Amino acid sequence: MKKKHFVGAVRPYDLHNPRVRVGYALMTAICVVIALVAIMPVLWVLLSGFKELKEFNRGVKGTDNRYYLQLLPASFSLDGYLDTWNQMKYVRYYLNSLAVVAGSVVCAVLFNGLLAYGISRLKPRGWKVVWALIMGTLMVPATTSIVPLFINITRLGLGGSFLPLWMSMGASAFYVVLFKNFYDAMPGSLLEAARLDGCDHWQLFFRIVLPLSMPINIVIVIYAVNAAWSDFLLPYLVLGGTKLETVMVRLFTYRTSDRVNNMDIIRAIVFSIIPPIVLFIAFQRQITQNVISAGIKG
Amino acid sequence: MRWQRDLASWAVMLPGLVLFAFFIWQPLLEAIRLSLYEANGTRVVRFVGLDNYRFVLTQPDFWPAVGNTFLYLLWSLIIGFLLPIVMAIFIHESTRGKSLYRTAVYLPNIVPSLATVFLWRYIFKSDAYGGMNMLLGMLGVAPQNWLNDAGRVIPLIVVTMTWKGAGATSLLYLAGLQGISPELYEAAVIDGANVRQRIFHVALPQLYNLARTLLILQVIAVFQILYEPLVMTNGGPNNASVSLMQLVFRYAFEKFDYSRASAISVLISIVLITLTLVYNKVNREQDM
Repeated sequence: MKKKHFVGAVRPYDLHNPRVRVGYALMTAICVVIALVAIMPVLWVLLSGFKELKEFNRGVKGTDNRYYLQLLPASFSLDGYLDTWNQMKYVRYYLNSLAVVAGSVVCAVLFNGLLAYGISRLKPRGWKVVWALIMGTLMVPATTSIVPLFINITRLGLGGSFLPLWMSMGASAFYVVLFKNFYDAMPGSLLEAARLDGCDHWQLFFRIVLPLSMPINIVIVIYAVNAAWSDFLLPYLVLGGTKLETVMVRLFTYRTSDRVNNMDIIRAIVFSIIPPIVLFIAFQRQITQNVISAGIKG
Repeated sequence: MRWQRDLASWAVMLPGLVLFAFFIWQPLLEAIRLSLYEANGTRVVRFVGLDNYRFVLTQPDFWPAVGNTFLYLLWSLIIGFLLPIVMAIFIHESTRGKSLYRTAVYLPNIVPSLATVFLWRYIFKSDAYGGMNMLLGMLGVAPQNWLNDAGRVIPLIVVTMTWKGAGATSLLYLAGLQGISPELYEAAVIDGANVRQRIFHVALPQLYNLARTLLILQVIAVFQILYEPLVMTNGGPNNASVSLMQLVFRYAFEKFDYSRASAISVLISIVLITLTLVYNKVNREQDM
């Protein structure tokens, strides 16, 4: 049974060789260290959030009257977190972020999906031009367009509204490529049958294509949730200084602010990483498997 | 009718096309136009040719930013390119704890990038309470200057980027390794290959194409490095970590000089597009 786990270059019988065994033990040790390095910073900030300001800055007084910094907080009381949450009015930022994420996910699936459907299945004359433009978009750095985009949004009076953030997720070359690859592999007979039943393009997309594309829809939703939650540059430019600021915009404004104390920033970091971590734990399998395989194909 | 069918199809694609035009294509063209004009706020005043380019190129912060951007690139290749490959091989060879390692190394990738840089700013704080100094303090070592040290700041920022990215990248390589049938290794054993030879001659060649692609993606991403220096050091100490993209940010959103911001972003795009084209050409020649 144990033999089955050897899937790589090291074969079970290699371990009879003492040199391989030492190397193998070393490798296991390195793996453990890497896993710790990956986890520790997140754990450190979560634990630090429990501390009081003085405890965080100076540490705890030892029996010899000197102060000692330690990893674990003196108490695991949630009061500190709750204080920051209430004082900084985090309920509002969470609701705003939620609104941005929800709208963005809908736009990401709908608009990129429709465009990919046109390119993949409908192929009207001239579709190749569109496809070339989208592939070209993948090559151009996204940040080039941020300045004129910001000017456009301001000119149209869309500053201080969620609308441009939602819509911007509807124009992702990467998502279009992922959708197109999936639609390309769809059996044509199904679509043909529905078309003979009198479905037009729109009905075909919403009744047949979209429901049949759940695997790729899930991948795009996971990507879009993550992207919409984490994005801060465009949200900062569009929402900064209004009542609609998101969790990330709030955090970004701490970049230069001197009046905020360490604990509020530490807890703001924690508030911004808790939702993604909860999602990760809930959908761990889908994320580490589907998303990665989609990434390779795309 | 063919044209009626075409029209109906274009109607389906129209909403997406409008969004691409508004959010990506038009701003891109506008960036080029804006870089050739003098602007007052968002209002274009007059055509000035290449004056904006001349201006940004002769500013004292431009060439340091170029140098730094290449330093970021160099360090990210040294620290960040091979590490995920090694991690993938090690995780693949492990017989126990495999799914635990996978989950652990992927965790940093789900931490939002802005939270990552804030978090690491605290880890590399030069005060005694900074994460690294706290760790050193427990070992009895005096607190160190981290991000305040001009010679260390870029590698340390690259460490932060690597922490966030290496795990997810290693899972891509891992997927590649899982595609190799163990029988291939057995065949190599019969040919008398030892473990090291099996890794170098059986496993690594399978990762070659993926590594090539990820290399160019890494170069493109690192060339646009912005918020790591922006948040962790604000370009300091003394512009030692300022990046090209950060100059765009400074011109646009601190000096509100949109024309000169656009000039630099156009320069960045030209470099990256050239790099991508050269890469594609070399690739095609190699594949033939």
